[in-house]
Amino acid sequence: MTRGTRRILSALLAAVVSLGILFPTAAPAARDVARELRKERGRLLKMKEREEKTALELTEALRKEKLSKGRVGELQALLTRQRSLLSRIDRQVSALNERLERAEKAVRELEAAHGQARTDLQRAEVVAFAGQRAGAGDPWSPSARERERHFMRLYLAADAEGIARITRARERKAEELSGLERQVAVTERKMAREKKVGDTLLSRQEEERRRLADIEREKKRKAKELKSLRAKIARMESVVSRVERQVKERERRARKGAGGSAAREPAEAPRRFASLSGGLSAPLTGKIVTRFGRQHDTTFDVTIENRGVEIEAPSGASVKSVGQGEVAFAGAVSGFGNVLIVQHGGGLFSVYGRLETFLVKQGEAVKKGTVVGSLPGSPSGKSVLYLELRAGGTAIDPTSAIPLDR
Amino acid sequence: LSGQPSLWWIDWRLSRTPLVRETIGRFLFFCLLGFALLSLLLSGGVRRFLSDRYTITAVLRAEVPSAEAEGLARKVAALPPVRSAAYRDPEAAWKEFLRAYPGLDPLRGAGGNPLPGYIELRIRPDRLTRADVDLVVSALRSVSHVEQVLAGEEGLPRLLRAGRLASWVCWGIFGAFFAGFFIVGRLQERARAVALAGDFAFLAERGVPAGRLAFLRAAAAAVSGFLLAAAGTAAGGGALFLSLRKFPFLEGVIGSPSDLLLPRTAAAVALFSCGAALLSAAASLLGWRAARSGPE
Repeated sequence: MTRGTRRILSALLAAVVSLGILFPTAAPAARDVARELRKERGRLLKMKEREEKTALELTEALRKEKLSKGRVGELQALLTRQRSLLSRIDRQVSALNERLERAEKAVRELEAAHGQARTDLQRAEVVAFAGQRAGAGDPWSPSARERERHFMRLYLAADAEGIARITRARERKAEELSGLERQVAVTERKMAREKKVGDTLLSRQEEERRRLADIEREKKRKAKELKSLRAKIARMESVVSRVERQVKERERRARKGAGGSAAREPAEAPRRFASLSGGLSAPLTGKIVTRFGRQHDTTFDVTIENRGVEIEAPSGASVKSVGQGEVAFAGAVSGFGNVLIVQHGGGLFSVYGRLETFLVKQGEAVKKGTVVGSLPGSPSGKSVLYLELRAGGTAIDPTSAIPLDR
Repeated sequence: LSGQPSLWWIDWRLSRTPLVRETIGRFLFFCLLGFALLSLLLSGGVRRFLSDRYTITAVLRAEVPSAEAEGLARKVAALPPVRSAAYRDPEAAWKEFLRAYPGLDPLRGAGGNPLPGYIELRIRPDRLTRADVDLVVSALRSVSHVEQVLAGEEGLPRLLRAGRLASWVCWGIFGAFFAGFFIVGRLQERARAVALAGDFAFLAERGVPAGRLAFLRAAAAAVSGFLLAAAGTAAGGGALFLSLRKFPFLEGVIGSPSDLLLPRTAAAVALFSCGAALLSAAASLLGWRAARSGPE
């Protein structure tokens, strides 16, 4: 249930309380009004049920929207990660391709150098052969020829070593090249795989976005419906308030007509909780989880008006009356579960919502601290009590009258 | 011999003209023979030529610095059999190599010079023997800077054998000419003895013993032979000196002109002159005897 709904329900509750308290004591002349009130209350309850249903649907839509947004966000994050991964892989592929190109160039150069070196060696061999045949150097200098032959061997050996070096370098480069090619192939396969994953994610995101758009539309429709309902309820509240005022006016006239002590008693009744005899005490020990007044709901991004507070307490905790008074109402109210209303006189009421059981009956007098009911059990071990204080038809902040743990 | 006419130079007095011709001929012959003798003495046959052609190459390691290589060359040059030792740096070796194989130059533009430096040694001509070469080679091989020693081990015995043979041939030719001189001299002496037989018979009738006549004629021939050989060799030596000065390339084959003035050269010339004197005397005696015994 949303907090906006709670706000509406609390208004309705106030009306019900007023009616529940005042109606039994109304004069016979007000039967028409009472009927009208019952009728209006019936209509109000139906509208409230519709509003509650709509609110629930809206809540569901919001939950779905939140879920969908979460999914979209998750998918977006996944997509971002995927794109980052793809970009990284792409950079890797580029770097690998660059290295591949360099390696290919090096291999080509080495092959050219190898070919050139081989050609040079062959030519050198031809020159050496021709030189020997022609008697290189002075034929009368056998030692010089021997030296030249030795140097020719050194020359050819150096050339052969150069070729061997180039061959080794070329083989190394070729190995590196094939390794790079394998790496590129693996990386490209990986990239293709990741692209596929990315495409899947994208399609899922698109699907999720479409779903989100549907939810958005549904939410808007529900919000509109809810707004319309709330307007109707407000009008209804206005009607009820008007009736309440009429009841009070009749009551006042009746008292005036009856005269004497009966008329004096309500006049002496306290109009402020602070002046209530015996003072007020906390209904139970717990922590306030929802504050009174205008609050911003981050879930729905709306500002709502709380008429009471919610106190978190252990499941099954006993709920005590905050002050002396009489049980004016004990029954189920849609959206609040079992609700108990204690009339403290002088237009002061305390309302206890979300109870599981009542330990007192309607019309029964209670004292401050009398256990009036208990909270329901919960798997989490925590339950929440709704507490509202009303003075003269207006909700007041319970924390201003009762010491509560914030 | 006092109171009697001298029998010295009797031939000269009896047959002047032919003897002048013979003398001139012998002088010219000794000029040539002296030239050849001095050339052979200086060159040692073909040893000087061979020692100039034959070198030992000590190929150095590539990392040996030039300064150390030059120091090593100086040390090697101090070995007794070594005539000279010259260090050639890698650059010089490369240029020399490219001169021998000019087609290689463009083939190794990028490769650089693969050749190391080397030391080239020449052996003294008189020490050009297998033992001395082995001595030098073993000395070089013990040096750590030397990568390899190229001493033409395969061709060296053949070279030395050829050198010995060539020297023998040279000296043989020289000896043949000397022998030819003896034979021609004998023939000339005989012919002259025959021509002067009447005069010699006249002297014999007057109491001049034939032996004494023959001895004196031989003595005169020996003296003239010595003098002619010495003079001819001196003239030949002068011609050789001038030739060596004029044609320096001959120094590589024959030797330095200054070697002509060495005492051993002079001793050899004296010995040669003595030999010529002896041969002249022998030719005179043999020619005398041949003339006395009748026609051959």
